[in-house]
Amino acid sequence: MRKSGCVPLVVLSIAAALTAKAAPVDPAIPPEEASLLFGVEPVGPSPAAPRTADGHPDLSGFWKGSRATKPVGNIGKDLPGFKLPLTAAGAAALKRNLTTTVDPEALCIIGGIPRHSASALPFEIVQNKDHVVFLYMYTYFRSIPVDGRKHTVDPDPTFFGDKTGRWEGDTFVIDTVGLKDTPIWIDENANPQSEAMHVVEKWTRPDANHIHLELTVDDPKFYTHPFQYTRTWLAGRPGEGLKEYSCSENNVDRPHIGPGPGPIRADGTRGYDVPPLPAVPPPPEAYGK
Amino acid sequence: MLRNIAFGLAGAMLVICGSADAHHSFAAEFDGNKPVRLIGTITRIEWTNPHSYFYLDVTDSHGQVNNWACESGNPGALSRRGWKKGDIKFGDRLTVDGYLAKDGSRLIDARRVTLPDGRVVYGGSAGDGGPGDAAAAPKP
Repeated sequence: MRKSGCVPLVVLSIAAALTAKAAPVDPAIPPEEASLLFGVEPVGPSPAAPRTADGHPDLSGFWKGSRATKPVGNIGKDLPGFKLPLTAAGAAALKRNLTTTVDPEALCIIGGIPRHSASALPFEIVQNKDHVVFLYMYTYFRSIPVDGRKHTVDPDPTFFGDKTGRWEGDTFVIDTVGLKDTPIWIDENANPQSEAMHVVEKWTRPDANHIHLELTVDDPKFYTHPFQYTRTWLAGRPGEGLKEYSCSENNVDRPHIGPGPGPIRADGTRGYDVPPLPAVPPPPEAYGK
Repeated sequence: MLRNIAFGLAGAMLVICGSADAHHSFAAEFDGNKPVRLIGTITRIEWTNPHSYFYLDVTDSHGQVNNWACESGNPGALSRRGWKKGDIKFGDRLTVDGYLAKDGSRLIDARRVTLPDGRVVYGGSAGDGGPGDAAAAPKP
């Protein structure tokens, strides 16, 4: 009985394989492309985090996203319903970003902090005794001094802000003020940030394969109370690292990009909830072109 | 069915990629409700960041020739998908499926490109949130 039951399965499998060869398979992004961005969760216990000569955890390395991070690109990731505590001014700024502001990243404007930490893109850290340097895609960087200095008085706003670094035990704390105002987006979903924003990042390396961030946004102008954003990245493979990525080499798209990020899905990411391309789309004349 | 699985895989990869190499969302530039097929001859190739572009002369049913711009992923992404810069040249005939630009210009998002040698390559920017992403997304 079992034998006879197997025959149709085998026939079906062969038929499926033949059909697969004949079918006009739609192209996909190969897995190795995603693996450049996303790390692999290690199996079994990880080695302890390395330490520098002065005894601090060494945060240096190439850090890639985890598939467990959802939604990527949304600073409200850890809030119920991804709902940010916007003030009335914050809601107005969000509306302005959605309706009148082109994504700064699309204009090759630096994303800044916290947006770079909410991005899907990998980054690199280089650490020495008195600086911790973050290297980002688009060939952007921020260098955090670790020398006991205080914030500049009345700093001119910048994309990465006026930042200081210090160690609290095994936690590296970055305190940032003096950040750019709207229309800079705080994340990929066009949420707003104001010059009043104060960002505190607490970075830890619990083991060799992971780096963890607890980030607090305190922006009383646009948000009714401080909120947190947490995330873990995975260590890249040996030999991996950032490569040159020129944002402004050939921006044919710039004059064609409209305001806002487009619709936000129920899962908190930006994008469409509509079917993929039809097998044979119509010619331009279908649209009078 | 197999086509659906293939579409699903493509979409799932996009979702997994998050924002990936896209430096703007699909929806900011293109209309997901206006899929289009261009069949035309290559007149220009720009193998550049943050997007590669190629341009096609497309002849309509009245014999009118219009030049169209096709936006695709960056050179690194396309190369990883098996599309090398030498794979297309001026005068080659291409079939490109994608979506019209929202602003009405002759610009499309080149999502599915049939190369001169018959290979079909994904031409879009990974993780730009374009159509098909969510349909195949693994449920949380």
